[in-house]
Amino acid sequence: MTTSKQHEMARGSAWAKVAGIALIAFGLGLPAFAALGGDVSSVQTDQAYMKASIKTTAGQAYTLHEIKTPMGTVVHEFVSADGRVFAIAWHGPFMPPMQQLLGSYFQQFSAGVQAHHAGPVRHGPLNIQEAGLVVQSSGHPRGYFGRAYVPAMLPQGVTPDQLR
Amino acid sequence: MRTFLLLISVVSLGLLAGCGGSGSSTPKGVPTGGTANVQPIAVNGGPVAGVIYPDGAFIDVTICNPGTTTCQTIDGILVDTGSFGLRILSSAITLTGLQTLTSGSSTLYNCINFADGSYLWGTATVADVQMANELGSSATIQVIADPTGFAIPTECSNGGIDEDNQAALGANGILGIGPEPVDCGEACDPNFNGGVPPVPSPYYLCTTTCAATSVVTSQQVVNPVVLFATDNNGTIVQLPALSGAAASESGSLIFGIGTQTNNQVPSSALIFALDQANGDTFSTTYKGQLLTNSFIDSGSNGIFFPDTTIPVCTDNPSFYCPTSLLSLSAVNTETVSVTGATGTVNFGIDNADNLFAEGGGADAAFSTLGGPNAGGGFDYGLPFFYNRSVFTSIDGQAVPSNTPAAPWWAY
Repeated sequence: MTTSKQHEMARGSAWAKVAGIALIAFGLGLPAFAALGGDVSSVQTDQAYMKASIKTTAGQAYTLHEIKTPMGTVVHEFVSADGRVFAIAWHGPFMPPMQQLLGSYFQQFSAGVQAHHAGPVRHGPLNIQEAGLVVQSSGHPRGYFGRAYVPAMLPQGVTPDQLR
Repeated sequence: MRTFLLLISVVSLGLLAGCGGSGSSTPKGVPTGGTANVQPIAVNGGPVAGVIYPDGAFIDVTICNPGTTTCQTIDGILVDTGSFGLRILSSAITLTGLQTLTSGSSTLYNCINFADGSYLWGTATVADVQMANELGSSATIQVIADPTGFAIPTECSNGGIDEDNQAALGANGILGIGPEPVDCGEACDPNFNGGVPPVPSPYYLCTTTCAATSVVTSQQVVNPVVLFATDNNGTIVQLPALSGAAASESGSLIFGIGTQTNNQVPSSALIFALDQANGDTFSTTYKGQLLTNSFIDSGSNGIFFPDTTIPVCTDNPSFYCPTSLLSLSAVNTETVSVTGATGTVNFGIDNADNLFAEGGGADAAFSTLGGPNAGGGFDYGLPFFYNRSVFTSIDGQAVPSNTPAAPWWAY
């Protein structure tokens, strides 16, 4: 929970709130700000960026926002009871826009990709397993699957396997 | 956003006559040109001097100025049943005269993202593609190179690794011969997407800046097999049996399915019709767990699957490092119910550190190399192909009457 509060103060989430308000006010797709780790309004920013529809399903442990593009990419954003995006999962014919969806975690993701490619693995799955960020990406062009989550932000009782 | 591309001065004469081998260098025991519908492949460590690409199958591909016999044979092209289209490093191309696709003063660029975060950027260029005695006329290929005068859009780079050179790619190019005919399809085609490209987009028009664009299917980066006059409905990748590790292995890429005496589907083959709504996948049951996101990908250099009981290598967590060889099995089934195929795959996973070190570090072919796929299903990479003929039928192409509609995999 302490970690969760730290994330609440991250710069990205404040910007996400501003962006969300601006979006409602002007009805425009505005520059992107934090999704993962951000507050629930960042989900709408992601939806606008991806020119997608959205469906929201409230559950006990979290609310699931399903962002679906006309061309088949599906992004699930998992929002905890305190209004934070703690995980993102995707599947579809294109990789999702990682900078948009990972927000303040994007640099950490990018560094993880660099580290992954230091070894002799080639075009297999990506597994970034760090204390502050987990990214698991598999599939191939026209069929990608993956998820990203912040372990410390998972609500009690939620396991990674549920994040699909 | 709606854009109509002009194909520059490409007149296909439909001729195929002795494309020359200009520009090919001497590889590490690489296959040379094949005959009829068979092109040799080799798991030989790849073209990068002093660096071994483990479990990569490489092939020679000839590209020509369309309609001419002005050609170049390029070695060290990775055979990839997990992607679509021919992509070649600009630095490996000495052939002059190839034309890129343009619209007005803008050049058409293509971007491909791999699931591991790597990506390739380059022009959409038109070439005749020749392998064995097969010719694909006026294929759109990707010529991989960083742009000058502008940056690769962040939508393309996506936080990943730019494999724009031989050392990063580990190859001179990638031959994508998976079960789809083009790298994007209707999602990128203005006749189907309402003129709104996907986000992120595989195609961009660039001058000093880039804008995402739509491209008609016939001008997208194409699986060259579908352009062949015959033997155009799929491929067979064949590799011999391998127990453990070897310095190299030689095999075949056979074009066509059921079109010649050497590419018939045996009655014993398991045919898995693919779940097109889920990225051309099938299902795998492993240790009681049903995994729906499974695929066969010669471009993955291991068998990747989720099993938290197998330790990963400390220095290289993308591979498994069990203390000794593990004998494992998984059951593949169709996710869609077409043929009802189901079958057990027996495979081994050995300690990757030991595999790489044995043979004095000179081995390139490994039958028991694998690693974790924490988020997904089975990625049956190259080790799956040893001792098998793996058929890939291509979506939209006619197939033999005793097989289901494409796309499917069979082995």
